[in-house]
Amino acid sequence: MSTASPGLYLSSTGSYPRVGDTHELQLLRRTMAALDRGERTTADVLDAENEMTRRAIADQVKAGLDVITDGQIRWYDPISHFASKLENVRIKGLMRFFDTNFYFRQPVVHGALLRCGPLVVNEYSFARNALGHLPTPQDKAGKLSMKPVITGPYTLAKCSLSEPSGNGSGESAAALEARALAYSQALAAEISALAQTGAELIQVDEPAAIKYQGDWDIFERALALLVAARDKIVGAGRRLELAVYFYFRDCSPLYEKILELPVDIIGLDFTYNPQLADRIAAEGSPKPLALGLVDARNTRLEDPEVLAWQVERLLPKIKGERAYLGPSAGLEYLPRDRAFAKLALLNKVREVMKGVKGAAS
Amino acid sequence: MSRQKLEQLGLDLPLFPTTSVGSFPKPDYLVKARADFNKQKIPQARLEELERQATAFWIETQEKLGIDVLVDGEQYRGDMVAYFAERMPGFTEGGLVRSYGNRYYHKPIITEEVQWPGPVTVDWWKFAQSLTKKPVKGMLTGAYTIMDWSFNEHYSDRRATALALAQVIRKEVEALVAAGCKIIQIDEPALSVRPEELPIAIEAMDATTAGLGAYFITHACYGAFEYIYPGMLDLAVDNFDLEMSNSDLHMLELFRSHPFTKDISFGVVDVHTHVLEDQDAVRRRIEQALSILPKDQIWVDPDCGLKTRTVDEAIDKLRLCVAAAKAFRN
Repeated sequence: MSTASPGLYLSSTGSYPRVGDTHELQLLRRTMAALDRGERTTADVLDAENEMTRRAIADQVKAGLDVITDGQIRWYDPISHFASKLENVRIKGLMRFFDTNFYFRQPVVHGALLRCGPLVVNEYSFARNALGHLPTPQDKAGKLSMKPVITGPYTLAKCSLSEPSGNGSGESAAALEARALAYSQALAAEISALAQTGAELIQVDEPAAIKYQGDWDIFERALALLVAARDKIVGAGRRLELAVYFYFRDCSPLYEKILELPVDIIGLDFTYNPQLADRIAAEGSPKPLALGLVDARNTRLEDPEVLAWQVERLLPKIKGERAYLGPSAGLEYLPRDRAFAKLALLNKVREVMKGVKGAAS
Repeated sequence: MSRQKLEQLGLDLPLFPTTSVGSFPKPDYLVKARADFNKQKIPQARLEELERQATAFWIETQEKLGIDVLVDGEQYRGDMVAYFAERMPGFTEGGLVRSYGNRYYHKPIITEEVQWPGPVTVDWWKFAQSLTKKPVKGMLTGAYTIMDWSFNEHYSDRRATALALAQVIRKEVEALVAAGCKIIQIDEPALSVRPEELPIAIEAMDATTAGLGAYFITHACYGAFEYIYPGMLDLAVDNFDLEMSNSDLHMLELFRSHPFTKDISFGVVDVHTHVLEDQDAVRRRIEQALSILPKDQIWVDPDCGLKTRTVDEAIDKLRLCVAAAKAFRN
């Protein structure tokens, strides 16, 4: 279904924990360890990934979300999951993923980046199908949507190296831009494929763009290829919106520039600067926003009444009074029980806004 | 400056002292024992017996290899933050979160004011030191990293959390110093994750070490040091133990632009690969270090803890470090 109508939608921001503390929630972990020992096959791992993806989707439905993701259960990390499927990339050692205590495998680009097959299209198709097989709550029939997530071209490029000349911090802006544009070409094709498969809203994660602000022009030029892909799809009569998400840093210094981006929805992390909400309440937004008001990096559960107050003051200031309330980033940085509690909190916020008695407890 | 401090502490170390970052792989019998203990199949006393056996093995191994400053190998630890959090009132064990790939850990949650429960690492240090005449490092995790790698449901903000933890870690440092430990490593691998918070990390380390009589090392790795250098040199330690090889010695370029004013434990072997570097590669890394840093500032060690390698791989990598250091001494 489309979420393009006015209103407040409850939305996942991407990842969901792959394991929990119970035996059944450690299926994927056990299966991968058994694969390493030679006791299971890659087919067994695929089965385990499928099962944990179904569970991640079921948790989101149970929590009352409107916009759901596959939880990125199959992702080794947000960088190598894409880069490793492209031609002329090899995967190097581990690097810290922004300011998290999570590590990604760094890609090294040693030739022309070529997309020779789907990157996340098959995963998206599986997730849509899995969602379709779940019993849907009565009031949600036909209202749930599955959102594919891709890591943006600038973030992929910034987290990669090039050979022979590129070496991260020391490389030229031209080399970085060439890599970003090459990733973007591959991702533009992926966006077209996702739209063909039925996606109407695609989330593009670009945390690096607000960390390395001096590269903003490169980020914009790389994003332009994705925007062009969207325009072509929309021009052909299909429905497609691009949502660009920024997190892991205060985006306030770039707020005006962010709003000028030619995308449909902007996702913002509100946890790094409490004044960001005040600013939006004062200045408004000419685009629908994804409100990352729920801290995806800390277990402390927010007060739903405070969140409801925030949403109530922000929503009228947002164009079309359309917003997506969700976690500030993917939830895989939290233990699974806390991640679910954060999702359940989103629905409590909506109930508080509707005046449901006892919603805040 | 720091070499003078070492001498004042009665430590006579050669040029290019060799050491390790901290963790060593656990022998198979200990891995099994830890699993059995978690399933309540063996008592704690039996587990500790095997942990001591493994610690003794690593002390003996380091001595045989000719390492100058030893570590206990952290055979009694799992995660470097959870180990302390499990022993300090104020923390609650959180559920599993992913570190990378298929590796997960229990990320602690601060739910109350954190308190020092009495010596946490001192008995292990005493045991390890009793097995050798060479200095054994005391091994702690820094307040900033414990803060960053924990969830916080108690303190008002990150600075308040780090400073509260610094007071707790300081008490452990004091206990190590009182026990006779002269070289104390306080790991801060989270040091560079939020460059804007470097002042908090510096404030916390100062609160941890100021005025205490030991040679202090901090280990940091896998970070964007270009954003915190040279400011990081204000950290109240004598020696930075840095992962250099995994990043192709990129940090040396930073040292060219601003002199590195502390001692450095220079990571000369990559710990995240099964591949054993050849001697020439390690020699070239030290030569590159010497092109920028004075020789009496350089210590030689692996990039990071070796716990993810096999026992044999770890020994081979340590042997390589020692051989390279000895070659340069000569």
